[in-house]
Amino acid sequence: MSEQEQSFYNVYEVFSKKTDKSPFQHQFSLLAPNADMALVMAKENFFRREPVADLWVVKRDNIRKLSQGEREMLSKLSKEYRETKGYGYLKKKWREYNQEQFTEQHILGGREESK
Amino acid sequence: MKALKELIYQLADDDFILAYRGSEWLGLAPHIEEDVAFSSINQDMMGHATMYFQLLEALGEQEADQNAHLRAPEAFRNAVLLEEVNGTGSYLHQPNYDWAFTVVRNYFYSVHKKIRLDSLRLSSYEPLRNVAKKILMEQQYHLMHWEVWFRQLLTSTDEAKRRMTEAMVKVWASFGGVLTLGPYYGEMVKANFIDDENVLKTRWMSAIKKVLNETNTNMLPGEPGMTSGNGRKGEHTTDLQQAIATLAEVYVTNPAVSW
Amino acid sequence: MQTYLSFDDLTNEEKYEHFMERIAAGEKIEADDWMPDDYRQSLIRLISMHGISEIMGALPEKEWVPKAPSLHRKLAIMAKVQDEMGHGQLLLRVAEDLMAPLGKTREHIMQDLFSGKLKFHNVFHMEAPTWGDAGMIAWLVDGAAIISQSMMLDSSYGPYARALKRICAEEVFHAQHGESIVLALAEGTAEQRALLQDSLNRWWTSLIMFFGPKSAKETGNSNADKNIMYKIRTKTNEELRQEFFTKYIPRIWAIGLTIPDETIHFDESTQLWVYKDADWNEFKQIVSGHGPRSQERLALRQSSYDMNGWVREALAAKKAI
Repeated sequence: MSEQEQSFYNVYEVFSKKTDKSPFQHQFSLLAPNADMALVMAKENFFRREPVADLWVVKRDNIRKLSQGEREMLSKLSKEYRETKGYGYLKKKWREYNQEQFTEQHILGGREESK
Repeated sequence: MKALKELIYQLADDDFILAYRGSEWLGLAPHIEEDVAFSSINQDMMGHATMYFQLLEALGEQEADQNAHLRAPEAFRNAVLLEEVNGTGSYLHQPNYDWAFTVVRNYFYSVHKKIRLDSLRLSSYEPLRNVAKKILMEQQYHLMHWEVWFRQLLTSTDEAKRRMTEAMVKVWASFGGVLTLGPYYGEMVKANFIDDENVLKTRWMSAIKKVLNETNTNMLPGEPGMTSGNGRKGEHTTDLQQAIATLAEVYVTNPAVSW
Repeated sequence: MQTYLSFDDLTNEEKYEHFMERIAAGEKIEADDWMPDDYRQSLIRLISMHGISEIMGALPEKEWVPKAPSLHRKLAIMAKVQDEMGHGQLLLRVAEDLMAPLGKTREHIMQDLFSGKLKFHNVFHMEAPTWGDAGMIAWLVDGAAIISQSMMLDSSYGPYARALKRICAEEVFHAQHGESIVLALAEGTAEQRALLQDSLNRWWTSLIMFFGPKSAKETGNSNADKNIMYKIRTKTNEELRQEFFTKYIPRIWAIGLTIPDETIHFDESTQLWVYKDADWNEFKQIVSGHGPRSQERLALRQSSYDMNGWVREALAAKKAI
């Protein structure tokens, strides 16, 4: 194969949003000679049926990924002090002061939970 | 009424026959990813043709499937350019299809289709107006797809430029057949079904001129021609006969039954 | 798991052990992960064959795309064959990423196909001379494919499992497209019914062959076993074939078709279907490129690849952005 043909096959990673509100999500990858081509092909290769609100293509070479060694470092010891787990006693405490403990909704300003 | 039907036949047959030619490419495109993308465009176009056939049915013409499969070639109103084979050979055996011709034909046609739909969006015939609005949404993507191909091939290797130039000369020689509205043109315009063909042609010419200018390509000389006949008058080539024989091969064995 | 030790410090034996632990725990292996060579080779063999079969599988059905007998059928079969190309795209991408460390790309896959080194599924070497075949392929060939693909949805190799998830989501449409064609013919004229029966006669042996020869448990074959050990697949060829029979034979009979095997029946005592086995030498002949349509289909694929070479060259010359 010629070196030229070789460079026809660049890997692009495809990301999409299903609706305006949803975050971008990785979908799959495709081969294309450049970003514009990757974009016109991505739509029909991965969203023939599903709705899609936005689309990104990123050349894979431009993504710095974790190696397996780095990825396996992500599993870590328990960090309970960061979470609400140890605070169950607060409810009883506030009762002693004739107060109800705030629910999450109260803490977040009483706004309706957004979904 | 005759003029309205003639117009819708032109719209239906243009999309139907070009979608048919596109469907012959399925599995044979230059790149697997492109094969998938191209097929969607052909499906869309055939879907557009189906909507037009349904409009004709509502106007008292034959049922859509009969209309698509049983008409004689001289009853077709598509431009001759769109029936032309993709190349030598057949889709089953030694196809020698020309991707440059496919890109140029589809791109030039998409530019015109968009201009034509923008006019039909304001047509005095409401059902046509509604169909045009629906089709326009998909047409934007088709145009983008073919424009990327057109621009990129035209600005790449010498061989690609040569092939694209040859294809443009070939398409130019019969694109006049797409631009014309045929013998009933005066009545179509008078009834406000569509804009004057000269207005649409001017818009098309300046759109093509712009893109050629941006890709440092010379504008094609003179006016687009109609060298192989006027399809709007029912003049066609053997390429259309071959296309109809293939697309109706199963249907004609028994048009009365369900398939 | 020894999470306190950096993965890169592990010896090869420890990496292997770690790999097998992850598989046993149901974790998914990703493209850049360390993997034993024979796991990589098994995946490349399986997935490149699967992917190229989808691409070659578009060809027999493609014959019927322009000829489909109504506007709706034309649209549906175009969409269906397009999906096959799309499935090929997904699977080849998975195979290509596995081959990349070996310096191979899609170009090599295509060249291996043309040289006969890379095989494709037996069914796609066969003729599809009538519209009945368009129905039979979508109903029973796809039906068989769904059974073997859904078995691997939980494959230990993450990218393959994700591709299959996308593929299986579309197979439901394919199955119903096939059922619709088959039922229209079954309920049609005598000629239409004959078209369908002829088509079943033509495809039955190929369908038996589809799942491959009986494996390990039955005969002591190897590849399928290795794939089970590595949790790439979970069932043997024969288990899949029996599943196919149970799912489809009652329906084939119900619509009035005759299976071209007088011996076929369900044995209550063993709870298995008894059937006439295929000639596996013939199978070998077919998949090695000597089927009735092998050479024509390969020639079609190769000529389309060659005639478009200038397009790939033209765009490769433009610097990727």
